[in-house]
Amino acid sequence: MIVLLAVAVGVSLGLVLQPTVPLDLQPYLPIAVVAALDALFGGVRAWLEHIFDDRVFVVSFVANVLVASLIVYVGDKLGVGGQLSTSIVVVLGIRIFSNAAAIRRRVFRA
Amino acid sequence: MSLLIDLSTDALDPGYAAAAARKRAAGVEPRPRWSLVGATIAAAVLLIVIAAVQTRASAPAAAKSRSALIAAVNRQTATVDQLERSLAALSAKQATLRDATLVSTSAGAALARRIAAEELALGTLPVIGPGLRVSVADASTSTGGRSRVLDRDLQDVVNALWTAGAEAIAVNGERLTSQSAIRQAGDAILVDFRPLVSPYVITAIGPAVDLETRFGASRTAARMRGFAQLYGLRFGYSRASRLSLPAAADVTLHFARPAPAPLSRGPS
Repeated sequence: MIVLLAVAVGVSLGLVLQPTVPLDLQPYLPIAVVAALDALFGGVRAWLEHIFDDRVFVVSFVANVLVASLIVYVGDKLGVGGQLSTSIVVVLGIRIFSNAAAIRRRVFRA
Repeated sequence: MSLLIDLSTDALDPGYAAAAARKRAAGVEPRPRWSLVGATIAAAVLLIVIAAVQTRASAPAAAKSRSALIAAVNRQTATVDQLERSLAALSAKQATLRDATLVSTSAGAALARRIAAEELALGTLPVIGPGLRVSVADASTSTGGRSRVLDRDLQDVVNALWTAGAEAIAVNGERLTSQSAIRQAGDAILVDFRPLVSPYVITAIGPAVDLETRFGASRTAARMRGFAQLYGLRFGYSRASRLSLPAAADVTLHFARPAPAPLSRGPS
């Protein structure tokens, strides 16, 4: 219930306010999105495995987004921003896939 | 490889397991703080929605600016066409008036004949005559860079035609003068800054039979035949008994002036 409400609030906030991301932050947006997806999938899996913890969820979300953006920022300064972005997408993508597979096994028992 | 294996086996944040172990050790089950969790989920969803909105907003903008540019290019090309037409009409009118003024005296008549001859050679008069029509075109299944006609090919063909004795040449109706340039700009070939697209028809006025023989025997023609076989470019030429070439836009020299001593020719 709370989850659906939060999703609805997030979607409507985004659609109503239509915030524009400052140009300086735009390179970090895709990375932040992938990190957010990773945190969400991890939370859902933990919930299904009955080990969900609010603190871990919140901290992992905030930390993932910040660390991912920081790595890309440092990479940009060192001239390897594009490669580091790719590496983050690969690593988090693998995690998202594994978590999605675990969720699928739990929900469909297959 | 161990990093990748870790990645897929420990996909779930180890923090969850640690927290569960702590709870089991403490033996209490604290209620999750739903407001915190809800706020985090809302923030994550907001982030995703922002990214989606951003992508949607910027995609049509790019397409719009592209189509606006294309429209501007087409408009300007049309304006240039129109200006060139009016320039040609005005030049013709000026020439008629000039000739009418000049023929009243015998010296003026001689001058008028000389002007006409010079203009004919310069390319600012439309001309007709027999000659050769050369057609060059991209390969029909052209996707790669190799199966397209390049500016170099057109330059070679034009140079071979001059060498073979052509007196006037036009590429797709663009008359070449002593100031003409043929060059590549991106996907288009520019002849005198006017973009032309395949197929290219090069019309050359000259002694038709000689032109055909000499051009056909030239190295350029041999190379173009080779390109046609290797890459599927289309290349062909045929004699024409009556070709009509348009006039070039006026050739204006901004810096060159007649040298002060016109009598001495050659190295002094």
